[in-house]
Amino acid sequence: MKVGLFIPCYVNAIYPEVGVAAYKLLDYLGVDVDYPLDQTCCGQPMANAGFEDKAIPLAQRFEAQFEKYEYVVAPSASCAAFVKENYPRLMEKEGHLCQTSGKIYDLCEFLHDILKVKQLPGKFPHKVSVHNSCHGVRELHLSSASELNIPRYSKIKDLLSLVEGITVLEPAMLDECCGFGGMFAVEEHSVSVCMGQDKVRHHMDTGAEYITGADSSCLMHMQGIVSREKLPVKFIHVIEILAAGL
Amino acid sequence: MSTKHAEAANRFIENKERETWHNETLWFVREKRDRMAMDVPEWEQLRELAGKIKMHTITHLDTYARQFAEKAEANGVIVHWAKDAEEHNEIIFKILTDHGAKKLVKSKSMLAEECELNPYLIKRGIDAVESDLGERILQLKNEPPSHIVLPAIHLTRQQVGKLFEEKLHTEKGNSDPTYLTHAARQHLRNEFLTADASMTGCNFAVADTGEVVVCTNEGNADMGTSLAKLHIVTMGIEKIVPNHKALSIYTRLLARSATGQPTTTYTSHYRKARSEDAEMHIVIVDNGRSEILGNDEHIQALKCIRCGACMNTCPVYRRSGGYSYTYFIPGPIGINLGMLKAPEEYYDNVSACSLCYSCNNVCPVKIDLADQIYRWRQNLDLLGRADKMKKIMSDGMKFLFVHPSLYNAALNVDTVVNHLPRFMIYNGLNDWGKGREMPVFAKESFTSMWKKGKVKKSKK
Amino acid sequence: MSSKEDILNSIKRHTRAQYDMPDLDTLEGIQYPDKTQQFIEISKGVGGDALLLDGDINQLIRTLYPEAKTIASNLPEITIATTNPDNVDDPHSLNGTDLAIVEGEIGVAENGCVWIPQNVKQKVIYFIAEYLVIVLDRNKIVNNMHEAYAKLDLGDKRFGVFISGPSKTADIEQALVVGAHGARGVTVVLR
Repeated sequence: MKVGLFIPCYVNAIYPEVGVAAYKLLDYLGVDVDYPLDQTCCGQPMANAGFEDKAIPLAQRFEAQFEKYEYVVAPSASCAAFVKENYPRLMEKEGHLCQTSGKIYDLCEFLHDILKVKQLPGKFPHKVSVHNSCHGVRELHLSSASELNIPRYSKIKDLLSLVEGITVLEPAMLDECCGFGGMFAVEEHSVSVCMGQDKVRHHMDTGAEYITGADSSCLMHMQGIVSREKLPVKFIHVIEILAAGL
Repeated sequence: MSTKHAEAANRFIENKERETWHNETLWFVREKRDRMAMDVPEWEQLRELAGKIKMHTITHLDTYARQFAEKAEANGVIVHWAKDAEEHNEIIFKILTDHGAKKLVKSKSMLAEECELNPYLIKRGIDAVESDLGERILQLKNEPPSHIVLPAIHLTRQQVGKLFEEKLHTEKGNSDPTYLTHAARQHLRNEFLTADASMTGCNFAVADTGEVVVCTNEGNADMGTSLAKLHIVTMGIEKIVPNHKALSIYTRLLARSATGQPTTTYTSHYRKARSEDAEMHIVIVDNGRSEILGNDEHIQALKCIRCGACMNTCPVYRRSGGYSYTYFIPGPIGINLGMLKAPEEYYDNVSACSLCYSCNNVCPVKIDLADQIYRWRQNLDLLGRADKMKKIMSDGMKFLFVHPSLYNAALNVDTVVNHLPRFMIYNGLNDWGKGREMPVFAKESFTSMWKKGKVKKSKK
Repeated sequence: MSSKEDILNSIKRHTRAQYDMPDLDTLEGIQYPDKTQQFIEISKGVGGDALLLDGDINQLIRTLYPEAKTIASNLPEITIATTNPDNVDDPHSLNGTDLAIVEGEIGVAENGCVWIPQNVKQKVIYFIAEYLVIVLDRNKIVNNMHEAYAKLDLGDKRFGVFISGPSKTADIEQALVVGAHGARGVTVVLR
C-alpha cells in the first residue's frame, strides 16, 4: 500500500513532530509512506476567507503531487476535509476531474477505518481531554456530532483507548468550536478569543493534563490562549500519543 | 480588517458578565433542544423529510400558492397579494381604514418586522400594539428584537422592571419575572378587549385546506383573533405546505428546535373569520422571495421555518448578541437572508462565522447555512466588499504556496520567524495578539528534516 | 397586471430544478406502550395536568377549582356552569370567566396536545378563562402528531386548535412564567 503523506503548512512549520509521529506510526503499521517534497498548502485559509479561486492553483498542484498514491493521509482533519469537500468543485471549474478527493483521509480516520488498527505498543499514563474539532466532527464524521440523534461513537476515543495507561476525557459542550476558523480568528478576534478561553476552561475543568485532538490548528489556537494566560495544561496531537514508544 | 459585526461584537464582549449570561442562557436552550431531539427516535428522518417537503413545495410554488388562495377564498377569506413591503403595508392600512379600525393588536410576525409595518401604521394614526410579551417590552422600549424567537433575550429583568415601572406603573424596584409577566397580562388584556382588529403572522399555510396555522405559547394570537371582528394574516409566500400530512412533520420539529418544548402551547388553525359577521384577510407577500427561487446557491434559505435554533447553537451569535448583526434577523440564517436582501448593505455580517457547521446540524429543515455563508464570502470580492487586508494576505499565501522553493525557503530556520508570521497572520498580528500568544515556530521544518533523512532515522 | 399575477409569474420565471414530494409513508412516528400514561406524564411536563375520571365530573372539577365562581361551559353534563358560551353574542363579555370546561376530540401522547375543533360559538372561551378544563375520551389518545392529523377533520368549522398545557412565556430572562395571556392552568379530564 503506497501512501502519500500530506503535512499541512502550519504543521510543517510549527509542529513538525506531529509529522514525524505520523511517519513513525504508519511505518510501524507496515505502510509504505512517501512524502512528496513540493507540497505546500491545501488552500483552505484563503478559501474560508473568501478567496476560493486562489486555492485553485494549489488544488492543481496538490493533485499533481498526490494523485499517484493509493491513499493520501494528513494529520489534520480540517485540511483533509477541505480537500475532500471542495477540491472536486474547484477543479471542475478548470475542467479537471479530481482524483485526490476520494483518496484523502485524516490520519485518525485512516487508522480507524482503513488500517482498522486494533492494538498499539505505546503507553501514555496521563489524563487527556479530547478536542473534537468542527471539521473533524461535522465534515469527516470522526465522532457523532452532538446535535444529531445518531448512535454515539468516537473514532479518536476508540484509537486512544488502545494506548496503555491513558485516561480519556471530554469537555462540557464537547464539540463546540474553539474559535480558530482561519482568518476568522483575526477578523473577529474578540469573539474568537472568547470562544478559545471558554474552550480551554472546559478542557481544563476535566482535570486533564493534556488537550489532544486531530487538528493542530485548533490546538495552536488554544495554545495561544494558554500561553498568554500561563495556564497549567499541555497540548499534544492525537497521533503523537498513538505513536508513543515508537 | 474589521467588520461592523466584529466591532459591535467587541463592544458586546466588553460587558463580560452580560456576554457570559447570554452565551450560557442560549446554550441552555440548545441543550433543551438536544434533549427533545434525542427523545424522538425518528428525529433525523423528520428533518430529512421536512427539508425535502419544503424543497418540493417551493419549487412548485405557483401551483401551491394558487391552490392555497383558491381554498382560502372558498372558505370566505379575502386574499391579497403584495409584491413588496410597501404594497403589504398599503394593503393592511387600507383594510384597517375600510373598517374604521384605530387599534390593531398584533401577534409576533417577522414579516411585519421585515416590512417595517409598525412605524408605517403608527405614522398614519393606527395604534399598533404588539401582544407577545417580548415584543411588547421592545415596543415600549422602542427597540428591535435581538432574536427571532426570544426577542428580548438581550435585556435583564431589572431593565424590564424599570421599563414597566415607567410605562405600566408597576411597583418600584420589583423585577420578578412572574410579577412583571402578570402585570403585562393585565395591561395587554385591556388592549385585547379594546382592539378593533387583530393581526397574526403565519407559521404554516396549508394548501389543500386554505388554513393558516399559528403557533404561540402565550395565546396572544388567539386572544386577539377571538375578540376582534377583523383578523389580518400576513404571510410570506414560502410558508405554504401541501397538506396536513406534511404539516404534522413541522409541528413536531418547530417547538422542539426553537425552545426545546415538545410543542407550543397553542397550535391554532384558522380556516374562516371568527363569526358570520367578522372578516378574515390574508396578505400573501413576495418581497424578493420569488427571486431567490432562481438562486441555486441560496434557494435553501426559503425552507426556513424561523425556529431560531441556528442562533442558539451559533458560538458567534451567543457571544456577540443579536444587535451585533446589521440585518434585523441575526445569526446564521440572518447572515444569509440579509445577503439575499441587499448584499451591498449587509455584507458586514458574513464575517460572523467560524464555519463550525453546527447550524447545519440543528436546522430542522436542513438548510445548508454554513455552506451558504462560505459561498457569500466567495462573492464579496466581486461585490467589491472583500476585506483588503484579507485579500492581500490570501494573495501572499497563494504566491508563496504555488512556489514550493519560496515556501521551503520560508520554512528554513532563519527566515521562518520573519516570513511565516507574515503569511499566516500578517498585519492582523496585533489582533491575534489580543488574548493570544503567537505560535512558536519549530527550529526545523518537517520538510527540511525529511530532506536530511532525519524523519526516517528518527525510528528507534 | 395584478400583483397576484406578477408574483405567480415571477415564481414561474425563477423556478429552476423541481423536486419531488418525498414519500411520507416511510415515516414511522414514535409509539408508546401505554399512551394514556404517557399522555398524563407529558401533560404534567408541559405545566398542565391530566387525570382519569373516577366518579362524578362536576364534583371532581369543584374539588380542583374550589374558588371558581363564573364557570362557562356548553357541555350538557356540566351542571356547575354559570354561563353557556353558545348563548353569548359578544365574546368580550366572557372576560372575567374563572373557569371554562370544554370538550377535546383527540389527545396526543408525544406532546400533551388536545385537539379542539371549534365546538362552542365563542372560541375565545378556550383562551380568556383564568383556568381551563378539557374533557377528553381516554380512548381517543393517539401516539403522535401524524396520527392526530390523519384523524382530525375540520370540515366546515371555522377554527381548530391543539392546546398543550397552560399559557406561558419565558420572555423575561428565560424565566418560565405560567399565565401569559391564556389560561393559567389546564387540566385534561380523561373519561
